[in-house]
Amino acid sequence: MADPSSNVLSVRALVAGYERDLPIVRGVDFSVSSGEFVVILGPNGAGKSTFVKAIAGLVPIHSGSAALGSFDITNVAAHDKIRHGLAFVPQTENIFATLSISDNLQLAADILPRGRRGTRIAEIYSMFPDLAARPSLRAGQLSGGQRQMLAVARALVVDPSVLILDEPSAGLSPKIVSEVFSRLKAINQANVTVVLVEQNVKAALAIADRAVILVEGRVRHEGPAASLADDPVVAELYLGARREGEGARP
Amino acid sequence: MSVELIAYVAFFLTMALTYAIMCLGLNVQWGQTGLFNVGVAGFVAIGAYVSALLTTPDTPDRLGGFDMPIMVGWLGGALAAALVSFLIGALTVRLRADYLAIATFGVAVTVQLAALNLQSVTGGPFGIGFIPRPFAGSAGNPLVFSLANLGLLVATVAVLYLGLERLLRSPWGRVLRAIREDEAAARALGKNATKFRLQAFAIGGGIMGLAGAAQAHFIGFIAPDNYLPMLTFQVWAMLIVGGSGNNRGAILGAVLVWGIWAASAAAISALFPPAEQARAAALQIVTIGVALCAILLLRPRGILGEERVVSRHIGGVPMKSGAEQEISEETSRAGNA
Amino acid sequence: MTAQVIMDGLVTGSMIGLGAIGVTLTYSILRFANFAHGEFISWGAYFALAVVGLLGGLSGALLAPIGPFSFGWALPIGTVAAVLLAGALALVVDALLFGRLRANRSTVIIMVMASFGAALSLRSLLEFIFTSKPVYYTKALQIALPLGGGIRATPDQLLSLAVSAVLVLAVHMLLTRTAIGRSMRAVSENPALAGVVGVEVRKVIRTVWLLGAGLAAIAGVSAGVLVQIRPQMGLDLLLPLFASAILGGIGSVPGAMLAGLIVGLAEAIAVQAIGAEWRAAVAFAILVLVLLVRPQGLFGRAE
Repeated sequence: MADPSSNVLSVRALVAGYERDLPIVRGVDFSVSSGEFVVILGPNGAGKSTFVKAIAGLVPIHSGSAALGSFDITNVAAHDKIRHGLAFVPQTENIFATLSISDNLQLAADILPRGRRGTRIAEIYSMFPDLAARPSLRAGQLSGGQRQMLAVARALVVDPSVLILDEPSAGLSPKIVSEVFSRLKAINQANVTVVLVEQNVKAALAIADRAVILVEGRVRHEGPAASLADDPVVAELYLGARREGEGARP
Repeated sequence: MSVELIAYVAFFLTMALTYAIMCLGLNVQWGQTGLFNVGVAGFVAIGAYVSALLTTPDTPDRLGGFDMPIMVGWLGGALAAALVSFLIGALTVRLRADYLAIATFGVAVTVQLAALNLQSVTGGPFGIGFIPRPFAGSAGNPLVFSLANLGLLVATVAVLYLGLERLLRSPWGRVLRAIREDEAAARALGKNATKFRLQAFAIGGGIMGLAGAAQAHFIGFIAPDNYLPMLTFQVWAMLIVGGSGNNRGAILGAVLVWGIWAASAAAISALFPPAEQARAAALQIVTIGVALCAILLLRPRGILGEERVVSRHIGGVPMKSGAEQEISEETSRAGNA
Repeated sequence: MTAQVIMDGLVTGSMIGLGAIGVTLTYSILRFANFAHGEFISWGAYFALAVVGLLGGLSGALLAPIGPFSFGWALPIGTVAAVLLAGALALVVDALLFGRLRANRSTVIIMVMASFGAALSLRSLLEFIFTSKPVYYTKALQIALPLGGGIRATPDQLLSLAVSAVLVLAVHMLLTRTAIGRSMRAVSENPALAGVVGVEVRKVIRTVWLLGAGLAAIAGVSAGVLVQIRPQMGLDLLLPLFASAILGGIGSVPGAMLAGLIVGLAEAIAVQAIGAEWRAAVAFAILVLVLLVRPQGLFGRAE
């Protein structure tokens, strides 16, 4: 593994869960180096979602630590994590439906220094021409795929050091999923570190560099994405649960 | 022991028990079903006025003269209050919890206003007097009279208590508890959950009406000023102190808080000159209001309240890290909305 | 029915609207019906009264009526003070009570119950300090000027309307054009997501209390100038406030003011048609109607 200090995100022995006596994440070590595209896989209930939510500050951390670069963010308030470079896109309700597209983006830009805001939003609009077309449209009127794009665009406004997404494919048709995924790949290739939690194993492995498999709150397997696609261990870990290839969850 | 003392204690306890009935009614709505009624005074007033109107003799300028027996009055009062509860519940039971609160508050304001202004029906600001009192034949003998009335109220509260406890353990009560404890079960029941909640709300309201009727007949006189938001506040304070969700807590809270209220009122009369009485009374209310807020903060389950019953309404144990707390507070409250 | 009801209704309605804006904002962001909101109105009026009394004691010139109005410079100064003090009061109550209940993860019902208790305490405290006797900012009488169409209004009333209009506009601009306004709208929709996006929810909560209480204080001073000041004044307005907030749609500032005007007009019409004693029931009737027909209100989102 790369030298720890070049890790954009390092997590050590993380234990987390909604209730104090019921940890869902049971001691996970996880690191991401700059520019990587890592996907977190695992069967239903493995704690993938809870894991990233804990890093983002939405689920209490019981023990362990998380750091962005060399800066410890374990006990940092959720609203401050983004100021340290961690942008999180939740699975559901990830945009403000009652606000316009431009308000959604402006809101994200509000934490930037005044001088940067306008420039950054212009840059985002050039990356997402669909959003630039009708900026005063209420976000609630966007389609599922467009909302995901807005959510990602919003996360990118602050030029994060790491972008974490929780199952962006959920509820989307296969065609839209592949559009979203190719966008994410492009964003990663523009040097944004991406961590993706996904159920759609096949599509995720196709765009990721590395994959980590969580089962029952612990890391059970990890390795380069390309080789994991054909690895029988992966299928075994999913035994009884969903196999590769299927799209949206029920 | 002097006759006067016994008579006084009996009077005090009788009044406390009428409040206990109100608390039992509120407990059905709140403790058992989780519905928030901020207009208790209104439903009590309905019971009192309907009962009074049914039983008082003919009076010029006012509807009346039905001369029904006291028990008919009690029943009529309870039914009228139950009906209005049903109607208001039907309007709001599917909406947010605090919409019910606002709507019931509106009911209380409107009922009080109606009592004040519909002079030809309610006697207006002068109220209704000469309400027949139970055991009126013994009125000449204070000891017998007060003990007989006390006995009547004790019997009423006992019957209510036993009836409600029975209802709790019945299949109906079990469904209600399931709805209160588990929203998913409530949703699975769908429309039926609403039906159960409505029934509970109506029963609770009816019991409050019964309390109003019992009070009206015990005192013999009612006026719109008896049914101000203060009464609602008193009943809530009694239920919270005693322990919401618990019928014994309801009764205990009523007696306790009524005792504190009466004692402090007596202290004020004794200690303050007449000119300052109103201000002192205001201070008394400030103290009680603050005490209520303190209880909600420190021991929301009251004296006898069950931890588990109330916990769903209060929320879980505070979480580990202060950093996550504010977001999760909002999240959990967003979830409660 | 004379055309005068329109003026009476607008004047009362604009005061109700100011209070309703505060209610709708705290309701949508803090997510509970604050029964103590009426007390910010009363306390605002009394804070201003105290400052006016103080300033009047220092210099009689400050009490001399300005132009056509019934009050001297002491009142505008007093109003500014009242806004700040009412805001401080709201923050104190939040720090001592609501904030701690939020930290305990109390449900909506507990918050409302506590607000009921706080309302009673605050109201009774006013009674204790000032007694229930109605008081006034000034003894100067005002002549209603004819405006045409059979409508008359005093300069005070016209000023009150103008101030309300300006404030509604200002609050609307705040919500739609500023960063804090965007933050407030975001928290109103989804507090968890707002945090993820970088909004400091605590700061938004403080802002909402300050804004809501400040508007309430101005409504209180208006009511004090146009009618009278008494400890019950907030409680009397509570039902119209809630009815307006719900009619307008929780979270909508223009909705709250519009609904306030509607309620005010309805009350004025009712007073002419069936008598002043039934005024308080009008708000209740409107509330019932809204809940029956369209619970999300005029501009609210359907649940």
